[in-house]
Formats: sequence, C-alpha cells, structure tokens
Amino acid sequence: MQQRGHVHPISHLIREANRIFFDMGFSFAEGPLIESEWYNFDALNVPKDHPARDMQDTFFIKDEPGFVLRTHTSPVQVRYMEAQIKQGIQPPYRIIVPGRAFRNEATDMTHEAQFFQIEGLAVGEDISLAHLKGTLARFFRELFRGADVEIRFRPSFFPFTEPSVEVDMRLVGEAAPEKMRGKWIEMMGAGLVHPKVIRNAGLDPEKYRGFAFGMGLDRLAMLRWGIDDIRLMHSADLRFINQF
Amino acid sequence: MKISRAWLQNFFDAPLPSAEDLAHALTFHAFEIESIEGDILDVKITANRGHDCLSHRGIAKELSAILQLPLNAERDPLAKEPDLSKKTGTVAVSIESDLCLRYVACHMKNVKVGPSPEWLKSALESIGQRSINNVVDATNFVMFNTGQPLHAFDAGKLSLRGEQYAIRVRMAKDGEKMVALDGKDYSFTGRELLITDAHSDTPIGIAGVKGGAPCAVSEETTDIILESANFDGVSVRKTAQYLKLRSDASSRFEQVISPELAGYGMQEVVDLISALAGGEVQGFVDERNFTSHAMPIAIKIYDVNAALGTKIHVDDMEDIFERLDFKNVFTLEVGNTVTPPFQRLDVLIKEDLIEEVGRIYGYDKVPEVELPPMSSAPEVNANFYWQEKVREFLVERGFSEVYTPVFADKGDRVVLNKVDGVKPYLRSNLIDGLREALERNVRLKELLVTRQIRIFEIGTVWKNGGEEVEVEIAVEKVKGEPTEEELRAELRAFLSSIDPMPETYTNLPASLCERYQPFSKFPFIVRDIAMWIEDSDDARGAVLNIFAASSQGLLRHVNLFDQYKKDGKTSLAFRLVFQSYETTLTDEVVNGIMREIQRAIEEKGWQVR
Repeated sequence: MQQRGHVHPISHLIREANRIFFDMGFSFAEGPLIESEWYNFDALNVPKDHPARDMQDTFFIKDEPGFVLRTHTSPVQVRYMEAQIKQGIQPPYRIIVPGRAFRNEATDMTHEAQFFQIEGLAVGEDISLAHLKGTLARFFRELFRGADVEIRFRPSFFPFTEPSVEVDMRLVGEAAPEKMRGKWIEMMGAGLVHPKVIRNAGLDPEKYRGFAFGMGLDRLAMLRWGIDDIRLMHSADLRFINQF
Repeated sequence: MKISRAWLQNFFDAPLPSAEDLAHALTFHAFEIESIEGDILDVKITANRGHDCLSHRGIAKELSAILQLPLNAERDPLAKEPDLSKKTGTVAVSIESDLCLRYVACHMKNVKVGPSPEWLKSALESIGQRSINNVVDATNFVMFNTGQPLHAFDAGKLSLRGEQYAIRVRMAKDGEKMVALDGKDYSFTGRELLITDAHSDTPIGIAGVKGGAPCAVSEETTDIILESANFDGVSVRKTAQYLKLRSDASSRFEQVISPELAGYGMQEVVDLISALAGGEVQGFVDERNFTSHAMPIAIKIYDVNAALGTKIHVDDMEDIFERLDFKNVFTLEVGNTVTPPFQRLDVLIKEDLIEEVGRIYGYDKVPEVELPPMSSAPEVNANFYWQEKVREFLVERGFSEVYTPVFADKGDRVVLNKVDGVKPYLRSNLIDGLREALERNVRLKELLVTRQIRIFEIGTVWKNGGEEVEVEIAVEKVKGEPTEEELRAELRAFLSSIDPMPETYTNLPASLCERYQPFSKFPFIVRDIAMWIEDSDDARGAVLNIFAASSQGLLRHVNLFDQYKKDGKTSLAFRLVFQSYETTLTDEVVNGIMREIQRAIEEKGWQVR
C-alpha cells in the first residue's frame, strides 16, 4: 500500500477558504480564464485608455481581438450577478472566486506571470465597509487557527471599488506563527463595489451596495507556510509539494 | 512624488510634526509612503489623485484636513482667484486642436536671468531637481508647488511680425522634426500636439511634454513668453510614450489636471519671476477651449454611515467637508449638496464623498461587523466538489498534486505578446507538462523516499475551441507496482461514480504542515552501507546515531532498504543520501564520512559488509 500523497498548498488554501466562507454564506463561483475585455476591464469601470490595459501588462490572445487572459478574478463579479438576474434571483449575493489570473511580467522570487487569487463579493441592501472588516477578520482568524487577528484599512484606489482600501492584517498572541507575530502585513485590495459595476451587472446601485476583495493566494500561502519563492508553486517539485 | 517637509512648512503657521508623523498621517488617511529620507517623503500618489496631489500644495491640503491645521491663506496659491486682467496685443495665441483646453501666455520684458537664490536652489535640490537659472527654476518651483506645469520661451528667438509674436497650438505634420531641451532630435508622426511659432510655422515645444531647444531661456535672454496651458491627458501620455520622453510635466498632464489651474499657476509664476528677476509684465492672453462648471453632489448623511458602517455625527461630517474645502449646502429639496473644489476632478458621485468622509474620519474607527445570516445555505459548486473528490481519491493512492504552467510550446490558442517570448501557446493537454514534471522528480527520487512517484494535476486546458478543466496523472514505471494505465483505469471508474448534483461538500483534511523547510538546490550523493549487528532497538538506535554524528550535518535521508537474520545476527542495509545547503558535495568529502561511519561501527564490534 502506497503511503498517502500530498495536496498542493494552493489547493489546501482554496479548500480551507471555501470551508470558512461557506459557513458565512458564500458560494464558490467560477469564470473563464480567457476573458473578454468587457468583463475584465470595461464592466469593472476600467476605461479604454487606462494604463493597466496597455500591452505590457495584459496577455492578449492572437487572432481573437477583444480577448485577454484575465488579469484578476474580478470579472466573475459581473458574470455571476448577470447570471443570477437571468435566473430571476435578486440579491443578497455572496460568492468567492478562487482561481488563476495572469500578468504579463518577467518572473522572479516574488513575481509570477500566472498566479492564484481569491475574489470575494457580497451584495445586498445593507452591506457596509464594517461587514468587509468583520468578514476578513473571521476568515483570517479561522485560517490561522484561532490566532488573534487584527485588520486595518488604508486608503487606496481601484477603478472597481469606491471607497477603496488596502487591507493589512496582523496576528498577535501565542497561536500566531512566530515569524508573523505582531507584524502588519499587506494582504489585499478591497472596497465597496463601484456603483457603475453594480449597474453594469444589471442592478440598481441606489438599492444595492456591496463589498469586494481580491487577495493573492500565492502570497497568502507564502506567508502561511514561510515559502520563500513564488516560482515553487508551478515547479511541480515534490521536494516542495510533499511537505504539505 | 518626493515631498519635502520644509517645503510643506511654508503653507502652515503652526509647526508641522516630524516627517515620520506626517508619513503616518498620510498612510492612514491618504497615500502610501514609499520611503522617508530625512525630511523627504516619497509619497505614492494614487491614480485618482494625480489631478490635485502631484504638488506640495496638494499634500499640504491633505495634511491640513487630516491634522486639522489650517493653511496660511497668504501662502496658499489657490486661496485667491488669479488676476489675468491685464491684456496684451504683443502675443497672439491660436488653438487649433481640442487636445488643448486652455493656453495662458504672459509676455515679460527686461527680466534679468541669473542664478537662483539659495532658498530656491535648495528647495529644488531637496526633491532631486537641478537648479538651472532663476526663470527656469521659477517655472519648476511652481509646478512642484501647485501642480501646474509651466514653460518659459526666450521671446528674442521667436519671430516678430509687426509688434506681435504668434503662438499656434496644432497637430504635428508627418515627418516634422524638433530638437528638444534635452538636446535630442525628435521626429513626429502627425499624432503629436505641438506648440509652434505661427509666423515661421516651426515647432517650439511638444505640448505638455518638453520645450524646444531653439527657444530655450539662457543668460542672454531678456524677454520671455510664459506658457501655462492645459492639454489632453491621453494624448500627452501617448506622445510621451511614443517619443520615450516622460517629463515631470507630462506625468502631470497624463493624470488630467483642471484647466482652471492654469490661471493660478500663471499668476504664481509671474509673481515669483518678478520677485527673482524683475522685468515688466506686458500682459496676458488667455485662450479657453473648455467650459467650467462646479458640480454639486447630492448626499444623505444616512448614506454615508450606512456605507461605512459607522455612526458619524452630522457636525463631524460637515467639519470634514469644510477641512477639505468642499462647499456643503443644506437645502430642503435634496438635503445636503456638496461641491468639491475645482482641482478635485476625482470627486464626481456620492460614493466619492463617502470615501472622503471615511478616510479623513479614519478607517480605524470602522467596526468589525459580521454579515447577517443568509436565509438559505450557499449552493454547492459541482465542479469544485468534483475536483475535491478526485483530489482525495488520488491522494489516498499516494499521488501528489502539482500545478504545471499553462504556457506551452504548442497548442491551439496563442498569446500575442508574451514578454519573454518563450512558450506562448496555451496548453491543450495536461499530460505533456506532467511527463516533464515526472521526469524531473524521478531524478530526485532518492530525496523523495517513495517506492513509486505518482503525480496528478487538475487544471485548465484549451482545446476544440473551448476551455475546460481536466484531471490527468503521470506515474513512474516501477517493477511490481501498478502501471500508469492501470491507475488511470481506476481513476476513470471513479470519475463516473461522482455525484453530479451534490448537496453538501465532503469534509476533507487540512494541511498538517506548520512551516515549510527550504530544500537544498545542490546535487546529492548516494551511498549504500550494509552491516551485521546483534539486533535490538538500542543497537539500531546506535547505528542511526553514528550516521548522524559522522555526517557533518550533510545527511538528508536514511533508508533501511534490506534486512535479514542469519546465525543470530542481523544484516541491515541502508541507503544514505548526502547533500549540502551551501555547496556541491565532492566524492572526497562523502568518502571521508563513509570511512568515519565504518570506523565507528567497527569500534562497536560490528562488521561492515
């Protein structure tokens, strides 16, 4: 009998994230990796002339004008809301979207052209920034197995959220991994969904509000287990994977 | 942008706190700080605030609102409307493109160009700028002070017709050329906006990017024409990008600035040049190609607190708007309407106002609140359920899960612009990547301590014009172990048994790993050793201790691969894997270790075979 094998650390994180968010009412949603510019940019209030749409940041698909390798998991926000409306289902909506995303950049120890993100979206009549803080705090508290978690927001800017914040996290107390204890760590960008995004999905922004966040899973895995090189994620090296 | 604390102090009567405290205030209420060096903060202005914050005045205003320190109105260049009422007929300005929204010119005579005073030199040098002369330095100072890019032309080098200079803002002609202030020759395609001498029809500047060398201000200059203009942001960005010529001016226009600012910038630079270099102001020309309108935004106090999840009192909210110079009017018809100042082009809708209140009030005061429970349980995602089932099935059978790159050297779909140029295709199968991965791992087998290497991947492939998620396995050929085909058949049988409409997720184990241990990237060396011992737990322990004690910390793995008893003695055969974290091991080093192990074992009275 062969001994038990190993699950990739990213899959472990997605498994745990799904368990934690499921308990908070979030469904697991997906979308295509080759994505239209509409869902990847326009629907998310990223205008045509925005520097992020330049050739150097985005992978375009040959002979398929208007299509890109999605640069984030956010296109699924509008896709999901549209699909719900089509089925006659009104908010509240809550989803997470774990999956791959791509940036056209050279790779090194901290940068990869292919990486994993987890998107979160909650839409309803009464969603606030305080819910975002509470949701993320609970996620990290459970992910780090009961460590004392502090969340803080700093002002930021993303075209698809307003207000926009950077989210920092700090683990304190005995249950926190020693190397992370007491240190503020930048975790993700987040905010309240921009009313144009709500409208582009087919909902009335005067009635519905939402929060959204997008977090790098590679980075979260690196922090959680002290992994020193992001390129290990796609290395298929069992010296790495068999530790998890 | 580099921001000097000493420079900021000009705007305030009260002494400013330390650079660290300013950085803290900005970090939690406005912008990230990239670095602090002495009194200089490198502030990362977000893309929505390039309109108003690529300037010391912009940052001073932020700090004024955050720290509740009033700006000194005398020294605030935006406190008083500019006075450009003195008109002149000595310069004619014509705008021939909608990419120029405003062009303010001022003609000054008899200025004395010379070195700048010490305060000006050190102010510019403190933020990494070079002092050139008092006129050029004045234009730069005002740009970094107020955010309006400016330019000074030597009037003596422009053509005169009658008593009049003529400036025309027009699109470049295809093939037109100009030497810019950086001494380089630039040729245009027809898509660039130029500032030209209308009499001679020659370019004297690339609009919003760089001035031309022919009209540069020098020590001999006496008469100047100052430009304070506004150009289309996208056009400036594209021109700067195409010419590979980014300047402090272009990086401001790129962000789009209010055409209103041009008047304030002109007023300020004329006052400064008059003070530094004397001269007589002949008058101004102000060509406008825009309509300005203040835009009141309706907002209910309730909306702000509902969005932020706070209980901010109406008086505090009004105070925040006031500190930001937003006009806040209460009317019976719509409730509150708030009007941002002209330079705040980012504030357009009520959500923008909510952000202003939130960040100035402080996001630290936003409480943590859990979402209310949903009326029904979330849907179970059948695809993820399927993946998890497959994962567990394979892991139970000794498989390890890998992710291989989606980029490949063949496939149906291809990326147009891959930065490194290699493997631009999107994979059409998982097996090619898995085979390569298997081969690499087989070479490492001694380090992996497993009888048979089995790997799998669940991932996206692009084939038949579509995108789908598949699972595939790759298995090392080992005598006496199942083959890849046999295991694949087992997997296939399992796949067809998975519930396509699951109602709940299966609870699967989390990782037991606490901390990842980096592995050595250097090659390893393998040695086998066999011996006769009088078997006991203590004896076996002693053997392992000898291995560890003799190996200078280079022993990675010990594998007992064979044992049998004969004549009351036990034969043990071990495979030892040696590897260093620092260097490539040599045979000599490992041979030395093996000799030491042998010596220590024989010392115990055992026999190495």
